[in-house]
Amino acid sequence: MRGNTNLVQNRRDVLTAAGGAGLLALAGCVGTTEENGDDSDDSDDGGDGDDDAYTIGMVDSLTGSLADFGERNQRAKELALEHVNEIGVGDQELEIIVEDSESESQPGVSAAQKLVNQDNVPFVIGAVGSGVSLSIYESVIEGTGVVQLSQNSTGLGLTDFPGLLRMSPSGRTQSVALADIISEDGYDEVAVTYINDEFGESLYDAFEEAYDGEIVYDSAHDGEEASYDSLVSQMGGSDAEAWLCITYQQEFATIVNDMYSGGYEPQLYGADSNRGDSVLENTPEGSMDGMKLVEPAAPEDQDNYQEFADAFEAEHGEAPTAWSAFTYDCVVTAALSIEAADEFSGDALGEVVRDVTRPEGEEVFSYEEAHEILADGGSADDINYQGVSGPIDFDENGDPRGSLVVMEVQDHDYVSTEFREA
Amino acid sequence: MSLIEYAANGVVYSSIIVLGSIGLSLIYSIAGFANFAHGDTLTVGAYAALVSFGVVGGVGFSVLGLPMGFFLALLVGIAVAAVVAIVTEKLVYEPLDIGSIGLLITSIGVAFVYRALIQMGFGADAIRYDVGAVRPIEALLPYGIRLTQHDVAIVISAAVLVTGLHVLLQHTDLGRKMRAMADNPDLARASGIRTYRIKLWSWIIGAGLAGAGGVFLGLFNQLLPRMGFNLLLVIFAAVILGGIGSVYGAMLGGFLIGMVVQLTPILSDVGIPIGIEYANAVAFLIMVAVLLVRPTGIAGEAVGGEGV
Repeated sequence: MRGNTNLVQNRRDVLTAAGGAGLLALAGCVGTTEENGDDSDDSDDGGDGDDDAYTIGMVDSLTGSLADFGERNQRAKELALEHVNEIGVGDQELEIIVEDSESESQPGVSAAQKLVNQDNVPFVIGAVGSGVSLSIYESVIEGTGVVQLSQNSTGLGLTDFPGLLRMSPSGRTQSVALADIISEDGYDEVAVTYINDEFGESLYDAFEEAYDGEIVYDSAHDGEEASYDSLVSQMGGSDAEAWLCITYQQEFATIVNDMYSGGYEPQLYGADSNRGDSVLENTPEGSMDGMKLVEPAAPEDQDNYQEFADAFEAEHGEAPTAWSAFTYDCVVTAALSIEAADEFSGDALGEVVRDVTRPEGEEVFSYEEAHEILADGGSADDINYQGVSGPIDFDENGDPRGSLVVMEVQDHDYVSTEFREA
Repeated sequence: MSLIEYAANGVVYSSIIVLGSIGLSLIYSIAGFANFAHGDTLTVGAYAALVSFGVVGGVGFSVLGLPMGFFLALLVGIAVAAVVAIVTEKLVYEPLDIGSIGLLITSIGVAFVYRALIQMGFGADAIRYDVGAVRPIEALLPYGIRLTQHDVAIVISAAVLVTGLHVLLQHTDLGRKMRAMADNPDLARASGIRTYRIKLWSWIIGAGLAGAGGVFLGLFNQLLPRMGFNLLLVIFAAVILGGIGSVYGAMLGGFLIGMVVQLTPILSDVGIPIGIEYANAVAFLIMVAVLLVRPTGIAGEAVGGEGV
């Protein structure tokens, strides 16, 4: 059995290696032409190897169920690389080898293995799905000193692995924000229902911990039920005026319909998983008006986000999502860490990666500003990078501070009303 | 306190389960196998009504918040479900000579085909009948009953269909032949009943009632490709509880299971820590308890027919 697995593993490694070699050759070609173009007269003395670029890795969902994310991530990555390499990291360039996770754990782990073991990158940006990120961390990264920074994972479980950083805020920030909003709105009693799975339970637990008032009713509900009449009747029977639903779109639409036909009109609150056009389409006009939801978001009124959004739109003809802003910040954070670190190794990068985004240092809003301070002899503590996706500020668990937008349903449509930092 | 509200919900939900259960039991007793495609027959009826209601539109005056066009669509749903069942019987079940277990497995495959075709045609997202959402009936609210006109329409229509079936079974020639065949197919054939024709009729009636159940399920909530299949397990529980093969048992079983599922919240209201996510589990527990006392189900006699 064991021998068999090894065989398969080896064959896969060989295949990946072959693929990787091809990719490297390709990357080499591109690299060379660029060098000929603008770097040929530079007499670089700081080159650490045969290549005059710092090479890091990225595992992204280029194919598979999360390919939409992957595609936008690549666009944001290109944009970030452009901005970084205009200025340079130290006096070199930043290069990123991208591998496909196919949006699944096994291929994701193989991709990370190739990056870490063959390309010897000290910094891996990856991955999109929380399960994939965790698998990569547990089977490839943990114990090697390599820094892993996930671009899009929001699962609460990642918090338990301090070595695994992420740019997108944990689902926990949603729960905490909801608890605050409900209290601020003056409700000291709430009835809660959550979808009966890991996602729903973990968000509910975080909410329970954060909420000051009394949870007068709580119940899990199974997905895909034909009717939630008894759930709605029970929530109504609890006499709470505020209802919090942590569930998915289809289930939420059913609940709203049962609420409507039951004649209940509570103040509704929900997580971003409840939000969607299908909910609007499948619920009666006006049945959710006044509902408040929170969703991870980029600070749209911040200047650097505006610049990022404009550049993104100019290049790709569509507005970026919050998720692509996270990827942009991953690349910039990696570049800043490389510049601030003593040497280009995983351990050295791991020491500074949190500090470049945290307070005490001067607030900088672009790579250029940060680069100037670092070039003047500043250390990681002297800068506090404010990303296009928010303040970042990695905590000891590797989670960002996270920023959220509060949406309200008005005239049966979602309107963003407020921007909150967690 | 809200007992009456749960009970009212239960009556509506039971009406749908009853319509599904009758067909499953009828087909079991006459065609001789447990039809796993029955749940998806509900879905077929629901989507057929959706299409025809889209064509007909809200014509005519409204009864109980539903335009006459909807009742027309209901008839189309019933008809399409019956036709689909007949075509499947002709194309798939009839040519197969593999016994009841083989047919059972085949019907699971048929269920997948129905569902896949619906999903290809309509997508996987939820759709609703364009009849407008309704609020609970004001006059009933003081009594703690929260029923909409649509709910009342579902219960009345189901009652009419079930009564019609009762009259058919007890007072018509076809009904007598069906009962004879359910009791003993060989004897029925020996006494000159054209059993093949009776079999087709039971497919038409069983699938037609399922189609109606599907339309009501869609009206009760929303249409999804998985809506019928999700209900199938509960329908099976109802049929087995009532005594498999017995049409009247299926009615009773459907009513009981539907009520138990919707009355489960009482448990947590009186302090028993069983949440509503276990409603189906409670219903099945009661089914097992009943079967321990009466192994043939409530209305079941000794296992007959050509069943397993």
